[in-house]
Amino acid sequence: MKARDLLYETASALDANRGRSLLTILGIVIGIGAVIAMTALISGIKQSLVGDLGLDQARMVEMYLLLDRQTSFDDYNNLVDYMPEYETLTIMAYGSGKATSATKSVDVSVLGVLPNYPDVMGTKLTQGAFITPEDEEAGSLVVLLDQSAVRNLFGNQNESVVGKSVQVGDATYAIIGVVESSASREGGRIYMPYSTCAARITGTWSFDSMSGLAASDVDMSTIEKTTKSKLGAYFGIKEEDVEDSFYVYTMQSMLDELNATMAAFQILMTSVAGISLLVGGIGIMNMMLTNVTERIREIGLRKALGARSSDITKQFLLESVCLCISGGIIGIIFGYLGAYALAGLAGSSITQAISTGETKLVPVIDIRAVAFAAGICILIGAVFGYYPARQAAKLDPVESLHYQ
Amino acid sequence: MLPVIDIKKVHRIYESAAGYTHALKGVSLQVQRGEFLCIMGPSGSGKSTLMNILGCLDTPTSGTFLLEGVDVSQLTDDELAELRATRLGFVFQSFNLLPRATVLRNVMLPLIYSDCPVPEREVRAVKALASVSLPADYYDHRSNELSGGQMQRVAIARALVNDPAVILADEPTGNLDSATGEMVLKTFRRLRDAGKTIVLITHDPEVSEWADRTVHIRDGKLFTDEQERALVAAHPGTRSHT
Ligand SMILES: Nc1ncnc2c1ncn2[C@@H]1O[C@H](COP(=O)(O)OP(=O)(O)OP(=O)(O)O)[C@@H](O)[C@H]1O
Ligand SMILES: [Mg+2]
Repeated sequence: MKARDLLYETASALDANRGRSLLTILGIVIGIGAVIAMTALISGIKQSLVGDLGLDQARMVEMYLLLDRQTSFDDYNNLVDYMPEYETLTIMAYGSGKATSATKSVDVSVLGVLPNYPDVMGTKLTQGAFITPEDEEAGSLVVLLDQSAVRNLFGNQNESVVGKSVQVGDATYAIIGVVESSASREGGRIYMPYSTCAARITGTWSFDSMSGLAASDVDMSTIEKTTKSKLGAYFGIKEEDVEDSFYVYTMQSMLDELNATMAAFQILMTSVAGISLLVGGIGIMNMMLTNVTERIREIGLRKALGARSSDITKQFLLESVCLCISGGIIGIIFGYLGAYALAGLAGSSITQAISTGETKLVPVIDIRAVAFAAGICILIGAVFGYYPARQAAKLDPVESLHYQ
Repeated sequence: MLPVIDIKKVHRIYESAAGYTHALKGVSLQVQRGEFLCIMGPSGSGKSTLMNILGCLDTPTSGTFLLEGVDVSQLTDDELAELRATRLGFVFQSFNLLPRATVLRNVMLPLIYSDCPVPEREVRAVKALASVSLPADYYDHRSNELSGGQMQRVAIARALVNDPAVILADEPTGNLDSATGEMVLKTFRRLRDAGKTIVLITHDPEVSEWADRTVHIRDGKLFTDEQERALVAAHPGTRSHT
């Protein structure tokens, strides 16, 4: 029996039972749909995290110092030399204040940053230029606004503001650029030279957070540990206290955290999928047994006309596998549609919960997930179709020809 | 010349919950190439049992069966299936066509089990259908749209399509009225004239008149026409057929 004959027989048998076949594959559709929707969403979330930040950002490490003592700018300079595994290392100072333009006034957060800040954070400008080393050296009264701040202070985030001025606290600053803001913040954010911030906003040179870009030959899986121990050694922290004295975040640890959050969701969807697939498989088996009983005479005839037992087995097995595969195809389609619907529905809240970005969550169509789903379908079809197919093949031709 | 069918001392004993049934008691029979043989006997005499053995659907409890000189008892299940696909053609009382499939598809059905190349299939099916005189307009009809006589001719075409050594027909006219039955028998007759070997089972003496030779089966034993006549003459009470 040739493959195309088998396919023809399968197609015509399934076509003859179209209504029943559709009902039977529902379990498979739901099971596969759940698997696909789940993987598409999870990969989408990961993608929006990693992809959005770019490749470099995968090498970004954030460090928070929970120390009893103050730090100084010298500490920063020393740490740059002390931790050569970082290509670039930068510090930030956080403050806040009231910003006032010619027309409006709003509460903003103020970030004191070094000129190398964009190299680490991947900051993009929509207008003007970033803080220069000269600005930092001189403690110039210059600021960059983020788009939210521009909107809040000047009405429109695309307003050309370079050259205009803004008052923060008791000083007036010249605006030298606008930073693209990934999220819409309450009041907005203002960037100024670290030295200016220390002198006028925070009143101290002490810093408690650093960000670094690891050199490209550094192993990201161990950098969290080595960074902690180096910081511990530099600041003279007792070994047992090192763990609680620093927070070190890498993209990797963020992904790990995300995976942990996703695990519950994953377990839920996997059990839904597993149960539907099991029930679906049993449904398929039931339908195939009914098929065999209904077609006993046909089986007897085929045997009389020269079909071998293996031909009959193949025919019924292929029928059940094709049934499952068609369920799988429908399930894959519905799974992706469902994932898009869910992404639209819950996407913004999910991404906001896990990142600062207002990035759109786009489900990822993963060829491996599709292949996995197809494999599962073939497996279920074969496993649950085997028994009915063997029953069919074992039928005695004489008896089945006279079956009423 | 080598007989197409050569069975010797074949016994078939059925074992069932109700006990043993000795359906064939030492049957010996030879069928020559090109012969149209009729096997006649009353109900329950063992006709279908014999036919199933000749068709390699069943195996004798004892005795030998040579089909074209090949000892069938030595063959595996798959080899028997191949024999059925290529050397045997069946015609059943109840036609046994696939109801939803077209006439052409029904006739081509045995070809998928005999590894016939795809392009050749339709040619063969059309040839077989032509030799049972089914008009070409019907080829694309679904088989359940045909009359009984047409169905049986499609079934004969299906039996012919692999050019088998022998066509086995179990009561092929049993479900047909006498005029349609006659048309079917004419078809067999024409096939015989074209050199086919046919074994036909019936309990109707009129049907047996179309055959070259008739053997009688009674309670699992075979008798020639002459023996049968002598038997009936010796026991005037017995009717030769039911
Ligand atoms: N599968 C079986 N199991 C047990 N006994 C059987 C079986 N098939 C047939 N028999 C018995 O064998 C005997 C011969 O049966 P068979 O079917 O060959 O008769 P037949 O000549 O074809 O009759 P009919 O003209 O009614 O078709 C009968 O007594 C029948 O009851
Ligand atoms: Mg019978």
